[in-house]
Amino acid sequence: MRVTLTPKKDFKVPVEAETIKPDNFAGKNKSEIESIALWHGNKEVKLGSLFDVKVEGVNKEETKIVIEGDASRIKRIGEGMTSGEIMINGNVDMHCGAMMSGGKIIVKGDSDAWAGREMIGGELVVEGNAGNYLGAGYWGAEKGMGGGMIRVHGDAGDYVGGHMGDGEIIVKGSAGLLPGLDMSGGKITIEGNTTLPGGEMKNGMMVIKGKVLEMLPSFRFEGEEIVDSLKLKKFTGDLVRRGSGTLYVNLIPGE
Amino acid sequence: MELLIKNGVVYDPINEIRGEKMDICVKEDKIVSKVKNPKVIDANGKLVMPGGVDIHSHIAGGKINAGRLLRPEDGRKGAEPRGKLTRVCTGYSVPNTYATGYRYAKMGYTFVMEPATPPLLARHTHEELIDTPILDNAILALLDNNWMTMEYVKSGETKKLAAYVAWMIKAVKAYGVKIVNPGGDEAWGWGKNVNIDDSVPNFDVTPRDIIDGLAEANEMLNLPHSIHIHCNDLGHPGNYETTLKSFDVVKGRSNANRQVMHATHVQFHSYGGSGWKDFESKVDEIAKYVNAKKHVTIDMGQVMLGDTTTMTADGPLEYGLHMITGRKWTNLDVELETGGGITPFLYSSKVAVNTIQWAIGLELALLIKDPWKIALTTDHPNGAPFITYPIVISLLMNKQKRGEVMANVHKAINKRAILPSIGRELDWNDIAIMTRAAPARILGLDRYGKGHLGVGADADVAIYDVSPEERESKKIQSALLHAKYTIKGGEVVVRDGEIVAVPEGRTYWVNPEFDGESTKDMLGDLTGKFEKYYSVNLANYPVQDAYVPHPVEIKTKV
Repeated sequence: MRVTLTPKKDFKVPVEAETIKPDNFAGKNKSEIESIALWHGNKEVKLGSLFDVKVEGVNKEETKIVIEGDASRIKRIGEGMTSGEIMINGNVDMHCGAMMSGGKIIVKGDSDAWAGREMIGGELVVEGNAGNYLGAGYWGAEKGMGGGMIRVHGDAGDYVGGHMGDGEIIVKGSAGLLPGLDMSGGKITIEGNTTLPGGEMKNGMMVIKGKVLEMLPSFRFEGEEIVDSLKLKKFTGDLVRRGSGTLYVNLIPGE
Repeated sequence: MELLIKNGVVYDPINEIRGEKMDICVKEDKIVSKVKNPKVIDANGKLVMPGGVDIHSHIAGGKINAGRLLRPEDGRKGAEPRGKLTRVCTGYSVPNTYATGYRYAKMGYTFVMEPATPPLLARHTHEELIDTPILDNAILALLDNNWMTMEYVKSGETKKLAAYVAWMIKAVKAYGVKIVNPGGDEAWGWGKNVNIDDSVPNFDVTPRDIIDGLAEANEMLNLPHSIHIHCNDLGHPGNYETTLKSFDVVKGRSNANRQVMHATHVQFHSYGGSGWKDFESKVDEIAKYVNAKKHVTIDMGQVMLGDTTTMTADGPLEYGLHMITGRKWTNLDVELETGGGITPFLYSSKVAVNTIQWAIGLELALLIKDPWKIALTTDHPNGAPFITYPIVISLLMNKQKRGEVMANVHKAINKRAILPSIGRELDWNDIAIMTRAAPARILGLDRYGKGHLGVGADADVAIYDVSPEERESKKIQSALLHAKYTIKGGEVVVRDGEIVAVPEGRTYWVNPEFDGESTKDMLGDLTGKFEKYYSVNLANYPVQDAYVPHPVEIKTKV
């Protein structure tokens, strides 16, 4: 089945939409979906009062949710989803795909902060740019992304993959400060530039195919290796944590 | 307002009522012998007990708030939206103040002792207690790593020490004296720790001297509670010997009404072995001592397997834990007075040491024959959050349930703990003693209407929807976690496990009277300390009345 949600207006006050996920929609008819509760600011409202709902097909095994229009004030879409697919034809607010364990989310525009936060499975694709804390842990959390796959076609903000334990993040563009902070496993690939990668990393792998604008001094140079048909410099660290993470870098500052 | 609690099965150990079917009458905020035109609460077939009294639970103050700041991820656990009466709740091991009040009340508790307040930060503690709904409360002031205390102990000026203790307790609106790793925090300022007979750097006193000096001052002042001590060497293999030595320090003292030392979270102090590899339970030795002596009481400090936050004024211990786990950590230093540390900790069923710790707490409760000598605690949140009390109780009451847990934990428990060989099951009378009567008596609060249901007592009553014969752990747990009714000060605050009223709690504090000459001399010394070292003025130090809006002042005479 395919459920299309079209916002009735541009939201100024954010909508908390952790109930918008295929697990919650599967097998429901139009009026059942319209009566799903979500929070708009400090008021609990029915989904039907915020969105026009269109339902096609009945096969609940293949539930796909399509959000047409601007979702840049809709938070937590697909939070904790385990299966199915969500397509957002526009920008999306924070926490999209947080804690998801299966299924797929495609964001055609940009995602705000915390996309794929603490996810443990499934796939998240952001075709525009991603905000800060992509695939990271929320404030205070000791574990970030623990599995699954995140692809960003544009750039990502600061703290990509903070506290990451497993899974993979690929950023086609550049990333901001401190990607892979405190990571203990998994793989982060940044095809563009970034700054201070791998701070306090204990394990896992990072590949920076562009330039590292600023490099932490606590990584040990191990020599050069061919990775993805590129000749890259291999470092081990972060030595301040006695870490054994691997950091591949193309260009270091000064080059 | 009058209430008649009809036909309940009443457990009121202080008045020697042991599961009798009877009525309890309430008028205004007191228990009375009869009522004229009451609202009737049908308690037929239900357990009726005095409101719970927690003798040791870190619920408010600088350390707890630092724990909340350190662990925002813990705030996400147990988050509940506001209700019609209730405010937003957050947290599991470091709940916010509202969650603390509501959750305790739902478990039938009506009094909680915040047991470790640095005097300089007492305003903060009182402010948080104001925001902790329903519960009556009190605080213990940390006075052991204090420079004034150590100097008076060193010089042997016990009268001045007593004058200082009296002044401090009054100044910060505290209830009694707390001792945490005596001398250890001061040593920690120099990167060191001390054991009971080591000399504290720069003060030339030993922890033994500090314990003895404060015990003498405590008895001189005739305070309602004895010294309340977290012994040296907490959490280390082989520390049971230090614990027994600490108990022995005050064995020559006595008090007609109560013990002269309350040793807290003794689970953390009952370890044998020479290292983590041969770490074992020495509860047999501790229980032998406590069973034979009258001068010491203890509380459990039960560990439950799972994630929690450890926080104590024992700074060096917390640093040690952080170095073992590699998890985040923070540290406090409180000028001339004390310090502390905080780090999250996971007690894992796959780790031999943690499993044995879990067994040790239960062993203490089961091997100490007289339940009046041991109060039920988890040293919240150090061993486990307080909301695990119903699980602890169900384990104490059901041997089979303990066996089920033991079958699924590290096998070391069979060799290095005593629990597998213990068949004792506690009954409801034992539980009523350990959770209300004994803590009230140990604190000296039974004389002020807490922990019992006799005529004139405070109308704090818990009613649980469980039959006295029930032994099935799931049923016990759910009944204790969601009381059928909790009555606090004559008002029904919990009905069917939900909060129905949110009165403000009262704060018990002690105003000790002491000889004016010694107080004058002491204030001379204290003024010097403030001028030379403190970041505040002496005149600004005492907590103003406004910070204790519902005080219960207890005056003591020498």
